[in-house]
Amino acid sequence: MERRAFIKSAAVATLAAPAFLHARHTSAADQKFTIALIPGLTTDAFYITMRKGAEEAAKAVGATIVFQGGPDFNPVTQVPVLDAVIAKQPDAILIAPTDKDQLIQPLKNASNAGIPVITVDTFIGTGVYQTGSGDADFPLAYIASDNLLGGAIAARALAKAVDEKGKVYVSNVKPGISTTDQREQGFKEEMKKFPGITVLETQFNDDDANKAASQLQAVYARNSDLDGVFGANLFSALGAANGVQQAGQLGKIRVVAFDAPTSIVDNINSGLVDMAIAQHPAEIGYFGVMAAYAHLTGNSIPISIGTGFTVIDKANVADPAIAKFIYSD
Amino acid sequence: MNSSVPLLEVRNLSRYFGAVKALDDCSMAVYPGEVVALAGDNGAGKTTMIKAISGVYRPTSGDILIEGKPVSFSSPENAREQGIETIYQDLALADNLSIGANIFLGREPMKKFFGFLPVLDRKAMAKAAEETMALLDFHVKRLDAPVSNFSGGQRQAVAIGRAVYWNAKILVMDEPTAALGVPEQRKVVSLIKSLKAQGKGVVFISHNLQDIFAVSDRIVVLRRGVVAGSRNIADTNHDDIVKLMVGG
Amino acid sequence: MVEDVTHPHRQVHVAPQADHADVRKTLVQQIAQMRAWLFLAALLIFFEIWARADFGGSFVGSSFNWRSVAIFAVAPLLLAVGQTFVIISGGIDLSAGFVMGLAAVVAAHAINLLGVHMPLPLAMVLGIVIAVAAAGVPGAINGLLISRLKVPPFIGTLGMFGVARGAAFLLAGGTTVPVKNSTFAELGNGQIFGVPYLVLVTVVLVLIMHYLLSQTRFGQHNYAIGANAQAARRAGINIKSHLTRLYVLSALCAGLGGALYAARFTAGAAQAGEPLLLDSVAAVVIGGASLFGGSGTIIGTIAGALVIAVIQYGLVFMNVEPFWQFIAVGVVIIISVLIDQLQRRFSGAKQDE
Repeated sequence: MERRAFIKSAAVATLAAPAFLHARHTSAADQKFTIALIPGLTTDAFYITMRKGAEEAAKAVGATIVFQGGPDFNPVTQVPVLDAVIAKQPDAILIAPTDKDQLIQPLKNASNAGIPVITVDTFIGTGVYQTGSGDADFPLAYIASDNLLGGAIAARALAKAVDEKGKVYVSNVKPGISTTDQREQGFKEEMKKFPGITVLETQFNDDDANKAASQLQAVYARNSDLDGVFGANLFSALGAANGVQQAGQLGKIRVVAFDAPTSIVDNINSGLVDMAIAQHPAEIGYFGVMAAYAHLTGNSIPISIGTGFTVIDKANVADPAIAKFIYSD
Repeated sequence: MNSSVPLLEVRNLSRYFGAVKALDDCSMAVYPGEVVALAGDNGAGKTTMIKAISGVYRPTSGDILIEGKPVSFSSPENAREQGIETIYQDLALADNLSIGANIFLGREPMKKFFGFLPVLDRKAMAKAAEETMALLDFHVKRLDAPVSNFSGGQRQAVAIGRAVYWNAKILVMDEPTAALGVPEQRKVVSLIKSLKAQGKGVVFISHNLQDIFAVSDRIVVLRRGVVAGSRNIADTNHDDIVKLMVGG
Repeated sequence: MVEDVTHPHRQVHVAPQADHADVRKTLVQQIAQMRAWLFLAALLIFFEIWARADFGGSFVGSSFNWRSVAIFAVAPLLLAVGQTFVIISGGIDLSAGFVMGLAAVVAAHAINLLGVHMPLPLAMVLGIVIAVAAAGVPGAINGLLISRLKVPPFIGTLGMFGVARGAAFLLAGGTTVPVKNSTFAELGNGQIFGVPYLVLVTVVLVLIMHYLLSQTRFGQHNYAIGANAQAARRAGINIKSHLTRLYVLSALCAGLGGALYAARFTAGAAQAGEPLLLDSVAAVVIGGASLFGGSGTIIGTIAGALVIAVIQYGLVFMNVEPFWQFIAVGVVIIISVLIDQLQRRFSGAKQDE
């Protein structure tokens, strides 16, 4: 897939943040901006946490956040919301596009209407913007976790847990979602570095924990030497972990989960999940608003910002410094 | 077998719909074991008459008497309770249920399974179905088969059987032979005859003069809401009835 | 006396003829009704042969596989048994999936709150009761909309689909709600003599629902309403109250499904039942019910749910490309409906008249 030049989160923290702060001092009092945040879907802890980060940044710079989105991760429900938001002429739009291609034209309408567009979490076109070529280079910036990196982190964690040998597979939602596709891709690429590990066929569960659990049991029934599973999102991991439990293989089949909702704490404590990889959605929301604000106040902003990950396991789950990355409701 | 008191008597019955006089001062009587056919052209008032008898319409004026006693019906259910069962063309059968289940629909018999668990008493329903249908000279082998398996005439028999089982005194039938093939029409005619033999009173509407002459004792001809004439079957013929129907 | 009058007209010998047809028709109908179990048997044989040929193992010989399939079928089956009643009556309950999610979230919150004040097992039982009762509310509204206000079931429950969904997500705060109650977790994941508690609870509910549908007036009236609502009304059945109870029943089943979901995953999720709704309708249809109403059985629905579970589990077990699962389930649904149509044509139902 397309490669993007990510600035690592550390770099963001050191380079971008002072620029934002500078911007704030120059013109915060002049104008009160309205910034729209359109999530991939409204009913997801990930985006709800992102919204919190955005609200925090908005409070800091005196902007107003409008949070509106569709009920599910689907362009059909997202585009009407986008159109309604455009009609109200916000000063900037932060959006997690639900499709790489189908959102290009609707977002172009916003851009043509003079509203700056920044994509968060997911992207349109290739995700590389402001190149002067292609019809999807108009957004100002793409701010997200580096999901390829996240997948690679998951692979390393799982490899370590299974002593770098044995059989593992990816429990994934469904193909075609840029983020989960990249996690799987990053996972598989990193796993190539561990010749003792065989990666079995990916199982798609349609975001149904019940199905994910059944799939784990079926894979285990066929591969009694199954050692680990990577759940590429919340319900994939929740289901796979339950499958391990139902199969009576707790502690024998290791589970690495992507995403960290509040329920993950119990799952880690009970040993159901060995490790959870928390994205930093609040950071994505925070940087998104800051980038929009910097642009609106005449500062230049980076085209691509990658936020980091926190790996949560039994050893650190109680640590408040770590626990703050658990998505809260 | 005829007694002097009619099972059903309609006296000076009128039913108006606004200015339209659908029935105007009509009288008729049905004695036990008697089959009365209602004949008449479209719009003559046949349907209004049976709807008044079966409790669907309240008469504007006039009386309905059952066995000599004046009655009034608040609803079709009420008419049924007082002994008048109406069988419409659609038969009102649940096609997916057996004969027994249709006979008992809405008042199914229950029994206790292991002395405590109430369950449907299918055996009782099947037995009642068998006996009732035998009264109508209709013998079924598979009493658990849904009625959709049966022919139109047999389904008519089921609808009639239900009325008989619940002790209807008077059966009102709307075009019972319409939409049936010739052998099926004959079956229905014989069903009506067996009802007659059991002393029931039957009122039926038919367009088919052949059926009317085959089964009825008397023909009441309606024309534009009034009784144009009433003839005993022995004293009349096709031409006479047609003349009454068209007038002149 | 009867003989005397009717004998001259005994020329009608349709009855004996039709009786032969009866037997044949009834046989076809019985086979058609059993089709889901025949499907299931065929599938099991198919997977067994495949497993032996492919890697010399056994599919049906493994109790692990049976347990896994049973656990997998639990949630869709709980939705499907309620749905069976609704579909037989000629309706449909599209809200069941999110009613299940709502109940899962309510169960999680209730059990957490109660657990502070009372022993865990008691908190669990009360929490489940509260969750199931909460599910009854949207069910009752569905029922009133459909029976009193004459809203078509498809539209009424579609509206409730949205309302229950919103309510569930609001209650959950948009995320999953973890449950802290070890007894509840044991209910969701423990087993007795190798049989998971979840499966036991489901078996009990399914038996009750089978009794209700096949042995009571309620069940009998349900069939009659589905076949001919007018006839049922004329027979004195109170259709309004029947329909109201019907949709409450469906919601209660979904509610139990939601509570058991929360027990199993030790978390309530608003979207718990969303992917299960269509599977549950498919299970009912494969099980022999007609979406036009009037036919269907709980026994058939059990087989329908197992057919879907076995296909999905079996194809993963056989390591088949995942997308074949969708195709396989789709094909089974189509074949099932075709058999239903054929059976209707063969038994010459009402259409002829």
